[in-house]
Amino acid sequence: MRKLLRNELLSIFLSSNTSKVGITFLAIMIIASAYVVIFMPLDFGLRYWNNPTFWADYPKLVPPEWVNIFLGGKLLRHTILVAEKPTLSLEGVKQYILTYSHDSNQLPQTVVFKLNNITFTYTSIIELSVRRPDGRVINLLVIQPLTSGVSERVDLSGRLEVAVALSRFLKDEFNVSISTTEIIQRKLEFKILMGTPVASNGYVDFKTLRGNYMFNIFLRSDDPTARIGSVEVVVFGWCYGFMGTDHLGRDLSQALLYGFPVALLIGVVTSVITATIGALAGVVSGYYGGIVDEVIQRLCDILNNIPLLPLLIFFMFVIRMNEELRRTISPLAVIIIVLVVFSWAGIAIIVRSMVLSIKAQQFIEASIAVGASSIRVMFRHILPQVAPFIFAQMMFLTPSAILSEAALSLLGLSDPSIPTWGQILESAFANQAMYLGLWWWIIPPGLLIMYSAITFVFIAQGLEPIVEPRLRRV
Amino acid sequence: MSLLGVKNLKIYYFTLKGVVRAVDDVSFNVREGEVLGIAGESGSGKSTLGYGLMRLVPPPGRIVGGNIVVSGKDITSMDEGTLRREVRWKVISMIFQGALNALNPVYTIGKQLVEPIIFHENVGLKEAYERAVEMVRLVGLNEDVLRRYPHELSGGMKQRVMIAMALILRPKLVIADEPTTALDVVIQAQIMNLFKKIKKEFNQSIIFITHDLSLIAEIADNVAVMYAGKIIEYGTSDNVFNIPKHPYTQGLLKSIPRLKSKEKLSWIPGTPPDLRNPPTGCRFHPRCPYVMDVCRREEPPIKDLGGSHLVACWLY
Amino acid sequence: MIAVLYGVLILTGVIIGVTGLSDIVLYNIVDERLRIVKQQLAIKIKDPEQLNRAVEELKQEFIRAYDLDKPWYARIPRVIYQIMILDLGTSRSTLSFSGSNKVADIILERLPNTVLMVTTAVLISSLVGLVVGLWSASKVGSFLDRSTSLISAISYSLPTWWFGMVVILIFAYELRLFPSGGMTTPGLTTTDPITRFLDLLWHLFLPVLTLFVALVGSWIYVTRSIVISITKEDFIVVGRAKGLPERVIRNRYLLRNSAPPILTNMVLGLAGSITGAILTEAIFNWPGMGSLYYNAILSADINMILALTYIYTLVYVIARFILEILYVVLDPRVRY
Repeated sequence: MRKLLRNELLSIFLSSNTSKVGITFLAIMIIASAYVVIFMPLDFGLRYWNNPTFWADYPKLVPPEWVNIFLGGKLLRHTILVAEKPTLSLEGVKQYILTYSHDSNQLPQTVVFKLNNITFTYTSIIELSVRRPDGRVINLLVIQPLTSGVSERVDLSGRLEVAVALSRFLKDEFNVSISTTEIIQRKLEFKILMGTPVASNGYVDFKTLRGNYMFNIFLRSDDPTARIGSVEVVVFGWCYGFMGTDHLGRDLSQALLYGFPVALLIGVVTSVITATIGALAGVVSGYYGGIVDEVIQRLCDILNNIPLLPLLIFFMFVIRMNEELRRTISPLAVIIIVLVVFSWAGIAIIVRSMVLSIKAQQFIEASIAVGASSIRVMFRHILPQVAPFIFAQMMFLTPSAILSEAALSLLGLSDPSIPTWGQILESAFANQAMYLGLWWWIIPPGLLIMYSAITFVFIAQGLEPIVEPRLRRV
Repeated sequence: MSLLGVKNLKIYYFTLKGVVRAVDDVSFNVREGEVLGIAGESGSGKSTLGYGLMRLVPPPGRIVGGNIVVSGKDITSMDEGTLRREVRWKVISMIFQGALNALNPVYTIGKQLVEPIIFHENVGLKEAYERAVEMVRLVGLNEDVLRRYPHELSGGMKQRVMIAMALILRPKLVIADEPTTALDVVIQAQIMNLFKKIKKEFNQSIIFITHDLSLIAEIADNVAVMYAGKIIEYGTSDNVFNIPKHPYTQGLLKSIPRLKSKEKLSWIPGTPPDLRNPPTGCRFHPRCPYVMDVCRREEPPIKDLGGSHLVACWLY
Repeated sequence: MIAVLYGVLILTGVIIGVTGLSDIVLYNIVDERLRIVKQQLAIKIKDPEQLNRAVEELKQEFIRAYDLDKPWYARIPRVIYQIMILDLGTSRSTLSFSGSNKVADIILERLPNTVLMVTTAVLISSLVGLVVGLWSASKVGSFLDRSTSLISAISYSLPTWWFGMVVILIFAYELRLFPSGGMTTPGLTTTDPITRFLDLLWHLFLPVLTLFVALVGSWIYVTRSIVISITKEDFIVVGRAKGLPERVIRNRYLLRNSAPPILTNMVLGLAGSITGAILTEAIFNWPGMGSLYYNAILSADINMILALTYIYTLVYVIARFILEILYVVLDPRVRY
């Protein structure tokens, strides 16, 4: 076999379109991963992703913002209003006014008042009210904080006092009667808050009232030191972010981004280790022959006949069930180990047959005759010849590892502290996303899995012309 | 009686990297009962010529010019159907190089021998088998080889089977393309003896293609020496071997080691040309020890030196 | 081959034994049998103390019978035996359609469903793959031919189960053309076989479509590669030289020689698909072994998981075994 020069190899490789695309994709993946490693915390999973309270102020199950372009702005944007200082400060009253401009027909998912770090020396009360564009004022709620230094979070939905206030407002202003229970049950809070009742066929409906809403927070206290650190009103919209949110309000774009280095890690580590072990086993087996060969071959035979997925599932499950093991080994490491254990055999077998035919060539005999040690022969003469093939196989193993991890995630058997694309899909499936039409939860993670897999497949296909002629002659 | 007449045959390969002129304006004749040896290095175009005679040139190769006439019929313009039915294997057959892979691995020898008979002649299976047995014995094999599979036979045996298969329809012309290259010397000798026997017993016309001049000396009546897609010398075996005229032929003959000779081995310097871009003028000129100015500019025409000894060289 | 099967069993058995799962399983089995026996005894022995003593005695006997009194490494053979005869006790979480909760019954009930779905998909995709692969091999360099490698790349990278989710999203949610899961429409009361059959087909369509898309790509590619490499062999040229009609060349030379590797792939594909369909079944709620496995994992039903892992391995090994036999029959070179 004529040994191809490195330049030749590179030019053959780069000549096909597929490998150029593959390399580009890979470059993008690496850049994305670098971004994540630099800008996102390593414990993103534990600290943020698995922490529902962090996402409390995000709208739930909403599509990405750019969808609005296609829908002509129909979806309500998510708005957060903040005030650090009171707008008006009088004797005994500090008033915070947050103005919100509502120009959509869509009503918010909910509205939340956040009163952060309320401090006082003696009794204070806080009143929450809203002035609508039509001038009407609704006094929503009165809070009396008990201890200083805490924060209050008031979600208007489902809050009894708020429903009571709304019911009374309806009756007083429009002479419409809807009971408090009905308001809560039928989730009419925002229809009332931000709408005008319109009677039709003896059945009350609401027309959304557009315009400026002024949310007022009154801090009434004789204590001049009483203050609220910051005041926020969050109007939960119907779209958010680059990739939308899931059922816990988690910003999917963050998890999707985080998945890049994880996928790369799993894929590359698994394939490198597998290829190394497989190649070594194959070379040793082919070179030494005899008992060593027999043993390794038998082992490979058994391993080759075992279906990967069920046993992978089985092992992950066993680890999960066993307390000690669960604490000592990271599930991700287990996935990698199991994948390696079951994949190296395939490579070993083919490498061995390649080695056998290389061994028969004269230059090997010559080396041995000259007195080269076995190790030297194996590494300097045989290994370089099988190297391209091994490299190509590595490229094929990577997507297999990524896909296997995704499959395991779907079963809930992956590492829960590290969010992966498969895990996003798992929660999508568990929350019936397909039946609810939540396409932004389903399609992007899957596409990314495919993208990362296909990157390596393209590179592998690009390597084929280099590997093929050698393979065939072997 | 001219059995085969080839005139101005051109076979080119149209590859992505350029047009390879494998056979470039070749003409010759073969009479009935004559053995023509075609000699040349690898890449001289001799194998392509062999395939071309049966119109089996693999794509991207094509016959682009000239014609081939066999027993008065023009093969080059014949349609594929007639070619298959009437000419291939019936009139011309081929013995392939390196019979390692030339036999279909999933069928027995017997079946493969009988195949052409069944498809070309209206003969019953039993009779076909009998003919197969006869042929197999002729090439020196035991008849139970018919029940075996190709992978069970040795190289020599497979080649004998190939020969039997090529002769089974008693074609007028057999093309043997490097029939002994993949075999060891002892078997080679046996196969050559077989060829001689066939030549004598059947008065078989054979085109014997090889790079090994000694084989041609053994069996050929006439010799055509090919270089870079052209025939540069043609004549009787005696003439070409004893009084070679073309410098290339001379060089080839000088490089054959002789047992008793004390001369140093000589060889022809340089490498065969790239047929996509052959040298201008005489294609041999870069390697020719007698090169002259005119050789670089113009292709030498074919000259008849008498006694049907033809040479294409400016020396004459 | 048998050695491999045993190898796998022993491996599984050892792991289970080491991790203590086997004890749980065996104790389950013992408890179950005890319960049955206790019921039977209670009819005969009225005195509660006597009853308890009798049960206790039997329990000891069972423990000895199932080797539970021996150290863990001695228990392994027993576990392996149990697995082999599929006496794995009862499932904690699932019932079979007929109400039994024995693992063996449940699995046997679901097996045909899985086989139905997977085999249909494999057959259709391999047929299409074969035809397209053959066709593109005969027209090397054409547009279709060059796109086969792209198609196979996509096919290989596509997570089948994810595609199932997308398919449901599009066809069941958006277009409302097909049901979003299950094998039959609940509440279908007609006994008319044609209606039931059509209903089955209607439910079968989406899962099979999903599997088809995931499989067909590599089918086309593999068929094409095999046929092309055979086409380059010398004996094909010889066949043509013999003046044989093209039909003969195609059947006897090309196809007959391509058959062993293509069939090999088909069997392997079938075996692989059965394991690969685990998640797809879960997504479509198809009542087969796959969704059984999925539910077993979610509810940590150990007996079920054990049994199913074993069955899947068994299926895979059997498939490869059939493969070896097939190969010997088809390719004379392998016979000696």
